[in-house]
Amino acid sequence: MAAFLSIQGLRKSFGAHEVLKGVDLDVRKGEVVALIGPSGSGKSTLLRCVNQLERFQAGRVTLDDELIGYEERHTRHGPVLRAVSVRELNRQRADIGMVFQHFNLFPHMTALENIVEAPVRVRGFARDRAENEALDLLARVGLAGREGAYPRALSGGQQQRVAIARALAMKPKLMLFDEPTSALDPEVIGEVLAVMADVACGGMTMLVVTHEWGFARELADSIVFFDQGQIVEMGTPQQLFEEPLHQRTRDFVRGRVYI
Amino acid sequence: MILATLSPPPAAVTSPLQARPHPWRWVSGAVLLLGLAWLGTVLARSPGLQWSVVAQYLGSRTILLGLWATLWLTCVSILLGFALGTGLAMARLSRNPVLQGAAWVYIWFFRSVPLLVLILFAFNIAYLVPQISIGLSGRAPLLSMATNDLLTPMGAALLALVLHEAAYAAEVVRGGILAVDQGQFEAAMALGLSPRATMTRIILPQAMRAIIPAAGNQLIGLLKGTSMVSVIAVGDLLYSAQSVYSRTFQVVPLLIVVTIWYVACTSLLSLGQYYIERHFAQGALRQLRPMAWQRLRARFGPASVEA
Repeated sequence: MAAFLSIQGLRKSFGAHEVLKGVDLDVRKGEVVALIGPSGSGKSTLLRCVNQLERFQAGRVTLDDELIGYEERHTRHGPVLRAVSVRELNRQRADIGMVFQHFNLFPHMTALENIVEAPVRVRGFARDRAENEALDLLARVGLAGREGAYPRALSGGQQQRVAIARALAMKPKLMLFDEPTSALDPEVIGEVLAVMADVACGGMTMLVVTHEWGFARELADSIVFFDQGQIVEMGTPQQLFEEPLHQRTRDFVRGRVYI
Repeated sequence: MILATLSPPPAAVTSPLQARPHPWRWVSGAVLLLGLAWLGTVLARSPGLQWSVVAQYLGSRTILLGLWATLWLTCVSILLGFALGTGLAMARLSRNPVLQGAAWVYIWFFRSVPLLVLILFAFNIAYLVPQISIGLSGRAPLLSMATNDLLTPMGAALLALVLHEAAYAAEVVRGGILAVDQGQFEAAMALGLSPRATMTRIILPQAMRAIIPAAGNQLIGLLKGTSMVSVIAVGDLLYSAQSVYSRTFQVVPLLIVVTIWYVACTSLLSLGQYYIERHFAQGALRQLRPMAWQRLRARFGPASVEA
């Protein structure tokens, strides 16, 4: 089956430090891919390159046969990829939901307002419709009745569930999760993972940077082991955790050496 | 042998606890109060103060017209100053190096020049640009006016105040924007919000929390700063008082009239600031602190009042 999300030859440096050293990754439609690896290995940067929160120096990202962030131009010197306009980029970003480690809810808006903002402003939905859908989403993430709460009044787990609802409200083609449970107290991690499982079962294509191996093992279709800016190996949870091919993967999986 | 003195019994667990006495606090407090009382009597009794004259002019037409001019100048220049300042802040934060540089130079220059000097410059701008014309170069202008006709003293005052205020407002707004967490920009971008919507809906409302206290300072500073326009004969509060005492020589009473009005306006502005800050604190605090009068009522009022 053809790739739905395709990352090819991605290179990214911060100054002299190369964080991504040519990454290729294909994700099928409806597939859940977990990215694991040591801290500082470039997993989050890879995720942020997909929706262009980070610009990269080489490579390309396509989603549903559409090049993200660039368009092909033909010049005298041959074809080039030129960055698209902000308006065009925003149209593409609207199709890619993102959930952050620190939730990044808008603190001056209620849970409902957080969810409704982008569907109304970006998608142009009528406010009634957006609010009804937002209430449904809140119920789906187990927060019915909390629509009037400001983020500060919610626990970390609740905030993250609102953040997931906010991303889903845009009806994205792809969801990116950047260490969604790393900032949470252990007792509320479960509720966020349950919501993510629900989203995964709904057929959403998901790319998840995580340290939650339980989640990766249970719900991911494939696991990518990432180290020093490169994909070391990729496989099913069974392969990667039980019979890793590479020594580095073996060390990581057995020793659980992450900081 | 019999002990001549009985040692007192040791303190028991149940012995009462006592706060440490602070006699010097009472002494210093009393000295300060006495000093203030003395100052008060001196001021009240001083014949030079002429409280009756103060009362006579406090609500007089001349002074009220001057007060109106001061308030008008303050309002218009704070609004235009912050509008221009917000633009300058955006320019400083933009990715365009020319815009950045231009905004930096503007802020550097207009923060360096004293307001009084700026006012005098604006007043004398006709020396610099005697004629203002609109049209294509090399042809007869479509519209041409003498600068002095276009720019009245009031116009010159406004120009100087706005240019000066914008430089400070730019830094206040920029500081507010920088105080907003980077994650907020990222969340807005990831949702596909346009740069304009990101600014007006997400960033500025949060930046307001940091902007308001500094803007309050600016506003109060500006209110008092407008008194400098009296040097170019703009009829503000101070100039009106000066026009009276140049006739009557009641300098001190009229300066007291001016002081009373400035203090009254500043107090009102501080109060307004308090309520605006509360408005923008929404969502930033788990629970809003009860307002000052609510705290007083909770402490001294009937028990039924909710805290």
